[in-house]
Amino acid sequence: MRYGFFPGCSFEGAAGYRESTEAVCRVLDIELAEIKDWNCCGATSYWSTRDMKAYVLPARIMALAEAQGFSEIVNICNACYSTLRKADEKLKNDGELKVKVNLALGEENLKYSGSLDIRHFMEVIVNDLPADRLKKHVKIDLSDFIVAPYYGCQLNRPWGDMDDTENPVLMDRLIKRLGAKPLENYSAKTECCGAAHMVAHKNECIILNRRIVKDAVVKGAEVISTLCPLCQFNVDSSQGRNGLPDMPVIFFTQLMGLAFGLTGKKLMLNKLLTPLKKAV
Amino acid sequence: MTSDLILRDIFFKKYRGDEIQKCIQCGTCSGSCPFAPYMDYGPRQIFAMAREGDMNEVLRANTIWFCVSCYNCVVKCPRKISITDHMYSLKKMAIEQGIKTPDMLDFYHAFNFPVEEYGRLTDTAVMAKFGLRHPVAALVNLPLGIRLALKKRLGIKPRPLDNLPGFRKIMAKTEEIEKIEKLIMAERATMIGKPANQDTDKKMEKPEGVL
Repeated sequence: MRYGFFPGCSFEGAAGYRESTEAVCRVLDIELAEIKDWNCCGATSYWSTRDMKAYVLPARIMALAEAQGFSEIVNICNACYSTLRKADEKLKNDGELKVKVNLALGEENLKYSGSLDIRHFMEVIVNDLPADRLKKHVKIDLSDFIVAPYYGCQLNRPWGDMDDTENPVLMDRLIKRLGAKPLENYSAKTECCGAAHMVAHKNECIILNRRIVKDAVVKGAEVISTLCPLCQFNVDSSQGRNGLPDMPVIFFTQLMGLAFGLTGKKLMLNKLLTPLKKAV
Repeated sequence: MTSDLILRDIFFKKYRGDEIQKCIQCGTCSGSCPFAPYMDYGPRQIFAMAREGDMNEVLRANTIWFCVSCYNCVVKCPRKISITDHMYSLKKMAIEQGIKTPDMLDFYHAFNFPVEEYGRLTDTAVMAKFGLRHPVAALVNLPLGIRLALKKRLGIKPRPLDNLPGFRKIMAKTEEIEKIEKLIMAERATMIGKPANQDTDKKMEKPEGVL
């Protein structure tokens, strides 16, 4: 299995996301081939401030992927995923906009044609990888491990075609396949973590993150599993400021690695702000 | 100050904001918004005000800057209005009008800076840039910064693109296109008040599709 891969700017600095993704890909024989010379997608910042650059940034990434022969782009960040997909959708339906964007991309001899599928790595693992192919690598018994699946916002919203907008289940399914227990009735699974507003509106965002953590604590989870660098950072770094017991927040790739019997060192669990104490 | 009528026209025509004519004022958006408690007006009120033409007040409200792009309202809106996109449009209009805005715009500038410079960013570069203009926030975040540094999670300088000159050429060309679009809009705005504009007002009286 080989995919065009857009790591995005936060992949490198996120707590062990890159290391754990690379490690589980080796185990599963999945190749995430980095799109060469990718740029920042622009995210909500460019949607909020620039008319045309907001499209040109993601379009350049997609044009590079097309030129490099990929038919799909796999993302590991919700914001990257939604930005690429949003741009792709608008460009496909607005010929005038597409002409303008391609006029700019022409400066680097690039061209966006709109031939790509925009995807998220978690969904790829669940939908493309047969369950038995995943299960045969599970070496550690996680049957007592209760994991709260936190999806965040920009994966299923606004589209709701990959999974349910209110009660998504894809990561729940992944957790089950890994032999662990997804937390039942985790109401906060699609609550907003505050995203980039954490920088300028910290106090308001702490309140949102309290709900995400509190729900997991009350219902008995031992860990929260995330699939976006910003979600992970916000929920993890809000700990200790919300008057709740510490709740470790890991990436789904780290959970996969734990089930596969990879060491905490390999998965860079030491990079988490809230330590995962349970010896798995 | 640009007149409310011109602003409404820019919002409705250039940014296709006339979609909000479909709004039935049910308040589902405001009810599902995680930041509604901190907004000057909820999204429902903002759309009512925009329809009524109170555009300068709409652009001055902190509402548009509190929108976090969670799309909660969009998936719940019974009229399927792309609320988040309209918030983006209103933010861009507020910038164009030079309306003094809350801290989020400083954050967006801090975000865009390394992107323009290197084609990529690091979280630390964004935080550092924001911190320069907001020393109090920087101070509040200092302990967190130290914890991240101890875990070797701070990298200030992003890895620049291989073809940075090519990327910059694309961005320069894009700016040129953005500029032309703005000039066209300004030209159109001078037409406001002339008979051709009557269309918008007729639509206002009989909004299409309102129950």
